[in-house]
This record gives sequence, structure tokens and C-alpha cells, in this order.
Amino acid sequence: MSVTAATAPASVEPIFNTKPRGLWSTAFRRLFRRRSAIIGMIILAALILVAIFAPVLATHDPTKSLIGIENVQKRQGPCIHWLGCPSDQPQHYFGLDGNVRDLYSRILFGARLSLLVGIVSVGFAIVIGAFLGAISGYMGGWTDNLIMGLMDIMLAFPSLILAIAIVTVLGPGLLNTLLAIGIVSIPVYARIMRSSVLAIKQQDYVMADRSIGVPSGRILFGNILPNALTPLIVQGTLGIAVAILDAAALSFLGLGAQPPTPEWGSMIGQERNQVFTAPHLIIFPGFALILTVLGFNLLGDGLRDALDVRQRS
Amino acid sequence: MIRYISRRVVLAIPVLLGILFITFILNRLIPGDPCRAMLGEKATDEVCDAFFKRYGLDQPPVIQFGYYLGRVVTGDLGDSMRFGRPVTDMLMERLPVTIELALLSLLVATVIGVILGVIAAYWQNSPVDVFTMIFANLGVSVPVFVLGLLAAYLFAVVLKDTPVALPPSGRLTAGVRVEPIAVAWGLESLSGPLRGFLDFLSQMYVINGLLTFNWKLFGDAARHLVLPVLVLSTIPMSVIARMTRSSLLEVMTLDYMRTARAKGLNERNVVFRHAMRNALLPVVTVVGLSLGGLLSGAVLTETIFGLTGVGRTMFDAISSRDYGVIQGFTLVIAFTYVVVNLLVDISYAVLDPRIRLG
Repeated sequence: MSVTAATAPASVEPIFNTKPRGLWSTAFRRLFRRRSAIIGMIILAALILVAIFAPVLATHDPTKSLIGIENVQKRQGPCIHWLGCPSDQPQHYFGLDGNVRDLYSRILFGARLSLLVGIVSVGFAIVIGAFLGAISGYMGGWTDNLIMGLMDIMLAFPSLILAIAIVTVLGPGLLNTLLAIGIVSIPVYARIMRSSVLAIKQQDYVMADRSIGVPSGRILFGNILPNALTPLIVQGTLGIAVAILDAAALSFLGLGAQPPTPEWGSMIGQERNQVFTAPHLIIFPGFALILTVLGFNLLGDGLRDALDVRQRS
Repeated sequence: MIRYISRRVVLAIPVLLGILFITFILNRLIPGDPCRAMLGEKATDEVCDAFFKRYGLDQPPVIQFGYYLGRVVTGDLGDSMRFGRPVTDMLMERLPVTIELALLSLLVATVIGVILGVIAAYWQNSPVDVFTMIFANLGVSVPVFVLGLLAAYLFAVVLKDTPVALPPSGRLTAGVRVEPIAVAWGLESLSGPLRGFLDFLSQMYVINGLLTFNWKLFGDAARHLVLPVLVLSTIPMSVIARMTRSSLLEVMTLDYMRTARAKGLNERNVVFRHAMRNALLPVVTVVGLSLGGLLSGAVLTETIFGLTGVGRTMFDAISSRDYGVIQGFTLVIAFTYVVVNLLVDISYAVLDPRIRLG
């Protein structure tokens, strides 16, 4: 008797003392246990810092030609005093481009554009896609058929080809590139949202809401939407990587950001014929792109494992 | 089986119509006068009137769409403003180059991707696995055009006087002769569709060299294709390697695998005969989906390596605002993509009875 009385409170106590961990704190703990996700986060954190502090870190004006200002030649290779470059020569960490501009400064400012393009176009696609998918899944019937039919048609185009066609119509430029990439990414999010909504719609708590007369709009946006967010976040992170790649490809083809804007893809496109004589003009912006895309891919994969999202289609 | 196939084919029809509708709309949305957009700023009013009549642009949009459908069905994709010739002719000329490049890339990506994936899964968490997965992660993160330029620099400049030096552009070395297959086979008098098909095939230099036993042509064309294929196959190869690995690891945990081991089968039989068959199913889908990326990648790869295929033509059309070519090629690329994915769906059903019966 006395034994059970003494042990009972002790075995009950921990249950009252530990708060149950929520989805997000569990997810974060899992995320921080994955080496690749941590590498991804470090890369992205560094990139965001570079983007914010670009004006401080830059050594030169990214769009200003140094002709007549410094004794340098166009497409001159990197010159770092610390690595043995003669100190009477002006220092340029990554060398100079075809218009005698400092490549290092241009790449720093390019980080702003790439992050902007990735986040804005994916944000646009998620908002529109989630909205269309939610309506499609919740309403069903011909609304569903119409919206999903349209999404299927868009998915029938390879994304870059459709983006090229859209930008051709809208005209070249950074803003139109953003829009085109946003539009071609919509179907992915619409599909994810629709299948989430279809799954959640069957849950008892949604049925309960409906039976007490909660309006459809409030059920959809108050109850269903928050529960469908995790797959969107995972896909969105991976989608940013794809968006950055596609935007860079469009700029490389001359359809995206226009010179003298320091955009990595367009920098590479401008100097692509000089790769044999001035490889630094391809290597540095190229590695900046690879690093950025890798960061989002690693974080996205880590998030998928941490949030345990299985690909649903 | 036949019911399943016919259902899939019927389901593809609205998508194909939708693609036609989108390419039609895109062309209507081009700002400004379609006549001057197609024929150039200097077109006179009379020329434009004739142009409007010829393409039915003086009719209401619904009828215009009907005309457009009719033209596409009969193989008329409009004209190139820049070259003043039918888009269909240009397509027939350039398609072989792209088909050869894309199929070789897909082949390389699938073979090496599956091998890497199996190795990584078999020795899970070993250095080989870690290395393969790092490669796969990097592979999907490298832009096609960056990889292409760096590869061209590496193999044409850095490794210039070594045996592994490779040509960074073009399809053949100057002086290597190409003979139409029909001529090489002594069938000069042949005409009609078979001749057309042989001439189409002749444009694929690697296949041409192989079929006509012209080893010089075969070797030279293959050497020129190494870099483009390497570049174009990197992304699908990475995706296929990752997919194979995770799929194989998943299958290995299933009960029937334990049964197979319990029966005393050796590990090689367990992996290759029992696990692989089921593990490769999802890989088939990935291979089909990779084609979209390959077609997009072809625009960049062909531009970098100076191959006059569909992609390079698309790039030139973009630069010169040759809307007719952009519209026609977009249509054909999308159609190809849909048809290939249809074939993948069907092959999936052939391989997995659960799909056609479920």
C-alpha cells in the first residue's frame, strides 16, 4: 500500500511537467539533426547577409565602368594583393568584366536579385496556386475539373519552355521573368493544395464545423488551410531553387534581367563567348548560382524529412 | 490492357487541345499588329491585308482558332519571319539533332543513374554512398549553362593537348563527309516516305555512321557529342540516382525480401532479381518526367555547343523575335512531352498489373 502510494505520484508527475512538443518544435529538432540541412541553412544565412550588406561589402559600384578611372583592362583576371598580386595594381577579388566593372561587387549585388526572384516568384505561385487548389478541392465538381484541367495543360509544357513563351509575349525584363516563372510554377502548388484539402475535408473536425453551420469560407481558410501548409512549405523551398535556376536561364538567354543589372545569369550570358579567354567571368557567377541553388535544395530536402511530408499527387 | 490504353489516350486529347489553345492565345497576345510582328516593321498595308486574309486574321477569334487547328492538323505550323520558310521544314531539318542529343542523354542518365543508385543503396552510409549523394545533390543544383561552359573550358582549354581533349562546339570536324544513308546503301532512286525517313535518320550523324559503317563519321560525331550529352544528362542522372537509391532502400525493408533471404538465396540474387524489379518502377516515371527538363536543357546546351537543333533554333528565334518559330516549336515540344509521358504511363501499366487492374 505504502509502496504504491509513494511511487504513483512520481510516475504521474512527468506527464504533467513535460509540455507536449508541437509540430514545429519537433520539426526544428529534426531539422537541426541533419547535416545536409544545416549546411543548407548556413549557405542561405551567409547569402542573406551578403544580400543585406552588399553595399558595405562591395569594393566598387556594381554598374560603373572603371575605364579611365583605374589602370586596368577589360576582362582582367582576379588581383588580390594578399595572394601575391603586385601591390601597384588595383585590387579586384574576382577580376573585371567585359565592361571593366568589378566582378566581386557585381556578384554581391547579384545575391539580392537571385533571392528576390526566387522568393517573390514562388510566393506569387504559392498564393495563387494554394487559392486555386483549395477552391478546387473544396468545391469539387465542374469547378474542380475546370481548374485542374487548366493546371494539367500548363504542366504539359516543360516549365522553362512555357516561361520562354510567356516572356516572349510580355517582353523581356526582370519583372516579366518573375511573373512568367511565377505563372508556370502555379500548377505544382495547386495540386499539392488540392490533395491536402481533399484529405483534410474528410476529417471529423471539419465535419463538426460544418454541422454547426460554420460558413464554408471560414472552414476553408481557418481550419483546412493551416493544416495543409507543411507540404506547401517543403515544395516552396525546393521550388525557390528551381525558380532561381529558371530565372538565371532566362537571363542567360537574354530574356530576363537586362544589362547593366548585376544578375548572375545575365552576367554569364553576356560573357559566354569569352569562356576560353576569361573563364573567371563564368566561374565566379556560376559558383554563386550553384551555391544558392544548393542551399535551397539542401534545406528543402531537410525540411521534407523533418516534417515527414510524403510526395502526394 | 487495351481499355486502359484507350482511356489514357482519350484523356490526353483535351490536354493536347489545351496546348493548342495556349500557343494560339500566346500568339494573339503579342503586343502590336500580328502582321508586322510576323513580317517585320516594313510590311506595307497591302502586304498586311493579304497576310490577314491568308491566315484568316480578319475573322472572329473562334473561327481563327478553327483555322489554326486546321493548319496544325495538316502539318502547317506557319512561317518563319526571319527565314521566310515554313516552320515545319525547319523543324524536320533540326529535329534529328535534338532527338539524337536527347535520347543519348536520357540513355546515359538512366544507365549511370541506376548504377549509381544501386551502388549507393547497396553500400548504404558507406563513403561510396555519401560521395554519390553529394554528387547527386550538386547535380541538381548546377545550372545547365554553367556546367556547359565550364565543361567546354575544361576539355577544350585546360586539357587541350591531352588525349581527353574534346571539341567544344559543332557537330563534326571540318572535312568529315556525311553521306545520306540512302545514297550509302545504293538506294539513290528511292523516294517517298521511306526516303524521307532515311534522310531524317541521316541527320543523326552517330546513327548514320553506324548504319553506313562509316566509322570515321561515327567516331567524330560521337566525340562532338560527349560534352553536350555529359552536360544535358547530369540533372536527370542525379534525379534517377536518388530515386533508385531511395526506392531500392524502401523495397529492401519489405517482407518478401526477408523471405527471399530466408530461403537461402545469395545476396546478389536477392538484390538484382527480387528487389530491383519492384524498385525500378518509380524510376520509369522519373525517366519520363526527365524529358521535359531535357527539352528545356536542349535550348541551353545546343546554344552553348553550337548544335543546330531545335533548342538552338529556339534561341535564335528568341533573339530575333521570330514569333512564328517560337510558337511552332513550343507547340511541338509540348506535344512531344505529352506523348512521351503517355507512353511512360502505358509502359508503367505493362510493368505493374496493379495499375491497369486497379
